[in-house]
Amino acid sequence: MKKGKYVMIVTISIVCFLLMMVIFMQFKVTQKSKEINIDTMQEAELRQQLANWKNKYEETKKKREEVSNTLETYKEESSSDSKTQEALEKELSTLEQALGKTDVEGEGIIINLREKKENELGDDESITPIFANDLIYIVNSLKDAGAEAISINNERIIGITDIVDIGEYVNIKINSNYIRTNEFEIKAIGNSSYLESSIFGKGGYAEQLEISGIKATVQKSNKIRINKYTGEINFKYVEEVN
Amino acid sequence: MIFIAITIGCILGALVGINIPTISYTYSSYLAIAIIAALDSVFGGISGTLKGEFDFKVFISGFFCNSILSILLTYLGNKLNVDIYLAAIVVFVGRMFLNLTIIRKYYIEKWSKKWEERKIKK
Repeated sequence: MKKGKYVMIVTISIVCFLLMMVIFMQFKVTQKSKEINIDTMQEAELRQQLANWKNKYEETKKKREEVSNTLETYKEESSSDSKTQEALEKELSTLEQALGKTDVEGEGIIINLREKKENELGDDESITPIFANDLIYIVNSLKDAGAEAISINNERIIGITDIVDIGEYVNIKINSNYIRTNEFEIKAIGNSSYLESSIFGKGGYAEQLEISGIKATVQKSNKIRINKYTGEINFKYVEEVN
Repeated sequence: MIFIAITIGCILGALVGINIPTISYTYSSYLAIAIIAALDSVFGGISGTLKGEFDFKVFISGFFCNSILSILLTYLGNKLNVDIYLAAIVVFVGRMFLNLTIIRKYYIEKWSKKWEERKIKK
């Protein structure tokens, strides 16, 4: 009985020892496994992990390809956009030039008109004021000679420009601005020889002006600057027809 | 005497368990199932003692055989790709709860009896 009790005690202590040892071993393993230590893994686990990473890599690669593809299409779109934008801008600038909305520079002539003084008058010449018609004729002639930009006293001549007499002769309206002067400076950009000959050529309008008592002088230049039209261009009645 | 033996065994086991080199993570599942089986045996032993049916041979054989059998079953499950250890856990933990219930009931009855006796004495 005594021996039996002794054996029992020893066995129970061994059992306790084994149980506690195993429990603490397990604690240690679970604690370490939280850090996913590759050293404690077995071949199968490593294989599993490898497969997982491979899958992940594959997925990521696929995603990357998709994203780069979309990026490519975006790039293409944006480049084509910029091309059309360039073309549009070019067209716009041409249109603005044609409209007279930009300052321009180039080869051309400057015509100065003024009434002759008494002592300058010839035999059958008399002082006549400068009328709007004179300016209109000159502008038309210049346009005919291929003038690309014209201004009178720094008022740009554009499509909607009006040149009219207002009451007295010294009052001419250009672009809704009243010019109260009898001296005019007409600038025109184009082939200077053509422009000059259109007014000052033989039988040109300058001769008629001379007779009317108007002194017209011309000056050629390689660099004439004509300012832009500063007013607004509004349409009240005109509508676009599609 | 027996309590001293249990305490010494526990402390020694804990010390050795802490200082032993860690085993592979794969084997830790076998170890876990062995622990569950052993704990089941322990609780079974306690409830057996309380009922007066405790048999030392049954306890020891249960302790080791259940642990080893559960490890073997887990291994087999791994080979068959079936999670047999889940079934083992269900059985062992279920039995642990049953044994715990027996232990609880025993102590409740004991204490309530004492309580009543005290009341009668007063």
